[in-house]
Amino acid sequence: MERSEEYIKNERKQEWRVELQKLTKAKDRMAIERVEMTEMAPEERIKSQRVEVNVGLTKEQAMLEATRCMDCVNPTCMEGCPVSINIPKFIKNIERGNILEAASVLKETSALPAVCGRVCPQEVQCEQRCFYVEKLNLPSVAIGHLERFAADFERESGVISVPKIAEANGIKVAVIGSGPSGLSFAGDMAKLGYDVTVFEALHEIGGVLKYGIPEFRLPNAVVDVEIENLRKMGVKFITNYIVGQTASLDDLREEGYKAFYVGSGAGLPRFMNIPGENSNGIMSSNEYLTRVNLMGADSEESDTPILRGKNVVVVGGGNTAMDSVRTAKRLGAERAIIVYRRSEEEMPARVEEVHHAKQEGIEFLTLTNPIEYIADENSRVKQIKVQKMELGEPDASGRRRPIPMEGSEYTIDATVVVVAVGVSPNPLIPNSVEGLEVSKWGTIEVVKDKMQSSIPEVFAGGDIVRGGATVILAMGDGRKAAKNMNIYLQEKYLSNKVEH
Amino acid sequence: MKEFNSLEDILDFAINEEQMAADFYTELAGKMKHQEMKDTFEQYALEELGHRAKLEAIKSGKKYQVSEAKIADLKIADYLLDVDVDKSNITYQEALILAMKKEKIAFRLYNDLASAATDEPSKKLFLMLAQEEAKHKLRFEVEYDNNILTEN
Ligand SMILES: Cc1cc2nc3c(=O)[nH]c(=O)nc-3n(C[C@H](O)[C@H](O)[C@H](O)COP(=O)(O)OP(=O)(O)OC[C@H]3O[C@@H](n4cnc5c(N)ncnc54)[C@H](O)[C@@H]3O)c2cc1C
Ligand code: SF4
Repeated sequence: MERSEEYIKNERKQEWRVELQKLTKAKDRMAIERVEMTEMAPEERIKSQRVEVNVGLTKEQAMLEATRCMDCVNPTCMEGCPVSINIPKFIKNIERGNILEAASVLKETSALPAVCGRVCPQEVQCEQRCFYVEKLNLPSVAIGHLERFAADFERESGVISVPKIAEANGIKVAVIGSGPSGLSFAGDMAKLGYDVTVFEALHEIGGVLKYGIPEFRLPNAVVDVEIENLRKMGVKFITNYIVGQTASLDDLREEGYKAFYVGSGAGLPRFMNIPGENSNGIMSSNEYLTRVNLMGADSEESDTPILRGKNVVVVGGGNTAMDSVRTAKRLGAERAIIVYRRSEEEMPARVEEVHHAKQEGIEFLTLTNPIEYIADENSRVKQIKVQKMELGEPDASGRRRPIPMEGSEYTIDATVVVVAVGVSPNPLIPNSVEGLEVSKWGTIEVVKDKMQSSIPEVFAGGDIVRGGATVILAMGDGRKAAKNMNIYLQEKYLSNKVEH
Repeated sequence: MKEFNSLEDILDFAINEEQMAADFYTELAGKMKHQEMKDTFEQYALEELGHRAKLEAIKSGKKYQVSEAKIADLKIADYLLDVDVDKSNITYQEALILAMKKEKIAFRLYNDLASAATDEPSKKLFLMLAQEEAKHKLRFEVEYDNNILTEN
């Protein structure tokens, strides 16, 4: 939704907001301490893959935290949000106790607020730009926790509003991939009256939200409610269907689909290309997490002993690495170790994840890099030769890059190794669709902000366009694509001139 | 080790090396299945031709310097496996590994030649050539570090 600065300012002047502003003095707001998220005890939570670590706020906690927010004239927090959620408006609704209204404010811009409230890196987005951080050097308003609270409250209340749907226009559009990008696109197009079908290669809907991010951070039930909502809005889902293999884009064209949104993600694992990397017991984080999250390999009855090991070493420092290593702990690893070639400050993983991992007894070997895997006589990995790194002089970009320290090599024992050093775009669509422009990284090239590819009726967004990014950016792309595809289709098939 | 009779001899050798590298990349570009990798290797070939032009300018009298500053060596490729250049679906990650390794070999060659050189002008020329190769390698290493090792 487009909202001008003036609109945001005028909303701030609404009677109820003005009253709230007067109700509590700024000084008193600032005196309140930031809420602490209640967490399950580490020794308890590591017993199960499916116990959520963060418990959530109570209504009282949330309303008090919302009182901290100053309802700034110039809400800089919104500039930090990639989809510009109207943050003060939703927070002030929480302060006055109108939680369902708060949830509906979130939904104006975010298709999956309960998901984003849990997994967005708020500490480097909205919260980093909060008045408390920028001007007072105090902990920010807990925007993420409040977002989660409002979305959960709505879900648990059972009164989830299904958005108004425009009259069906009979135009069929296909979505390739059911990750956050595809889902948000599907929702917006259904609202506009299109006949939307989502094709998903796996047997589960949700993309990384299901197969990647473990349930201890994001319960499947949260995602399922959103999917159910889309179903109610008329979106159709077809699983176990690989576009480019089960059927081509041309086949779908023949079936009457007029336009396509490619949200096929970046699910191709990258490896390091070091000796011994194809030994047994070494796998990508993708494989590891998918086996546990989608195939129940964590259950005692499951016949996948390969995943359980005494010493599990995870290579990498992103969210994927943290999710893998914490999963290893929950599968019973005695030692679950992160090996990362840079220093802790440079880890791309969320601060909260690193913090939780440490609470759970995860070991961190930073400034350390694997250079070779050593296998036993059955080609099973048993040790990793690692090398210590030191940070070099800052280069032209000011970055201090790690450099190997020769002679510092040593070995560590490993029964299972999970490689989480990054992902590349899924190559099937980029490689199989004639005329689709692709970058050297394998991402689909689109016109920025329109998300339209070199083939006019094919739009794309999320990780297939950005490489590995975030849930909120993937979602934002889906919404932009829906808006622009609507314009394209209206003009082409409904002879409606649309204001751009 | 190869014998060189004059500075011109050395430059001719180096110019030929750059040309061979360009030819190598052009041939790879021709073999690639996907357009974006064809473009990548054509770009690498162009860069090698750029290096060649730089050396030709020196041969025709342009001054050169051996800088005191040491060029950083991130040693990224030192521990990586060789890339199979016979396949037609080389990835961008592999392309960078290939390039880093090639530049490192050239760097070592000129460094060795510099150590073996008996006269000062040849030594200086070899050191300059080694430095050039180190710079080319660093360019690929930085790209690898920024784009491939994003999570590591
Ligand atoms: C383990 C892990 C943890 C993460 N943690 C966070 C986090 O905490 N916060 C955050 O913001 N981001 C996180 N991310 C990143 C985030 O999940 C992604 O950026 C986001 O999911 C991208 O969404 P997407 O819709 O583009 O693709 P995806 O979620 O990858 O979905 C793509 C879907 O397309 C399907 N597909 C692919 N090809 C085809 C085909 N040919 N036909 C049919 N279907 C196909 C795939 O099976 C998949 O289901 C994490 C990623 C991982 C892997
Ligand atoms: S910047 Fe912080 S205090 Fe100001 S409106 Fe946003 S959340 Fe509230």
